[in-house]
Amino acid sequence: MDKVYSVTQINLYIKDMFIRDYALNNIYIKGEVSNCKYHTSGHIYFTLKDEKGQMAAVMFAGQRSGLKFRLEEGQSVIVLGSISVYERDGKYQLYAREILLDGSGVLYQKFEELKRNLEGEGLFSKEYKKTIPMYPKKIGIVTARTGAAIQDIINIISRRNPYIQLILYPALVQGEGAAKSIVKGIGILDKMELDTIIVGRGGGSIEDLWAFNEEIVARAIFDCHTPIISAVGHETDTTISDFVSDLRAPTPSAAAELATNNINELYTKIYDYNVTLNHILKRKISLYRSLLEQKKLKLEHSSPIYQIRQKRQHLMDYEEKLGNLISDIIKEKRHSLAIYIEKLNGLSPIAKLNKGYALISDGENNIVNSIDKIKVEDTIKVSMLDGDILAKVEELNGRRRV
Amino acid sequence: MAKNEKTLEDSFEELENIISKLEDSDTNLDDSFKLYNQGVQLLKICNDSIDKIEKKIILLNENGESDEL
Repeated sequence: MDKVYSVTQINLYIKDMFIRDYALNNIYIKGEVSNCKYHTSGHIYFTLKDEKGQMAAVMFAGQRSGLKFRLEEGQSVIVLGSISVYERDGKYQLYAREILLDGSGVLYQKFEELKRNLEGEGLFSKEYKKTIPMYPKKIGIVTARTGAAIQDIINIISRRNPYIQLILYPALVQGEGAAKSIVKGIGILDKMELDTIIVGRGGGSIEDLWAFNEEIVARAIFDCHTPIISAVGHETDTTISDFVSDLRAPTPSAAAELATNNINELYTKIYDYNVTLNHILKRKISLYRSLLEQKKLKLEHSSPIYQIRQKRQHLMDYEEKLGNLISDIIKEKRHSLAIYIEKLNGLSPIAKLNKGYALISDGENNIVNSIDKIKVEDTIKVSMLDGDILAKVEELNGRRRV
Repeated sequence: MAKNEKTLEDSFEELENIISKLEDSDTNLDDSFKLYNQGVQLLKICNDSIDKIEKKIILLNENGESDEL
């Protein structure tokens, strides 16, 4: 007995071994629930067992988000957690982080695994997504022959565009053989030169929808040359088919909407194009017409007839101007003349005859206003207002008066 | 869909092109008329390509043979 260990030392050593084991730290264990106790602290203590053995398990209050249902006796569950040692009792137990009901649990795992693998292969990549044609003429549908899904699709598509040819491949969408049936339907429809294929079904449990999580369905969708819209269950259901399809529709009804254009919108579009074309051409024509009008005007302006007319117009303008000028001048002169006449009237000798003055003229009626113009013995005429006196000059005496 | 057939998408794209060329003031009247004619032809093709016959759903059997519903 070289070395003796304490119980605690050994328990710690064993615990350390558990902690070092990677697998035990992140492990799925399935079994049946027994001795389940919800403790007031929020922790859940239970035993996980199968036909041959059992294991103590605990889910601490802090991990409760990993449990989506009420844990009860007899449930088949899958527990994700780690196995470690409880030193005080020298027991190992399962520390649960997530508890799933078996069945859905297995499916969930499968789902995650397939999703990971296909994603790794690039089946979900955007580069492989085909465009859904906007104006389809033929749409294939892979779904159950009866049920709400096909009815919804028919109703919506025939309302939006009754001229679209629908081709239904009635597939098994759940249960044994469903995946194969869906794959076959996709294959057959893909050869029919369709515009789009809708693959889907109405809502249901995860088991009901399971065919759409099968690898063969995913690969058939990926390999299909025709664009595929997946439409599985309700908005909250997501399947592998949704990831691999070219477009995911939340429901079959939504798929019908996404797959089709509304025929009335199409008519409106064509009509609008027509209106636009006419409008543009009319505008163009009227533009050219106004250009033509401009050219015509320009041409007319440069023609000799126009020039002659233009010059004639100028001439007339000058004529009018001249006429105006001359009449102005005449008017002005006439006015000045009137003023002169008025002035002259004031100076007229006849007006002076009144005041004792008389007008003297010689025999030839020349005015005599100087003694130099007359001689002694000449006869002169003295004109007064009321008559003339004839007189003879007797004497001439020069005298300066001014 | 027959591969040689002009799709509505293609026709609409062509129409857009024609319209933008028509709107271009550098396009002369002669070309405008040609473009307009092309546009009208395309509209006719669009209209004709809408098969205005209401369709009944074709129901395939398991082996892909069709029975009209």
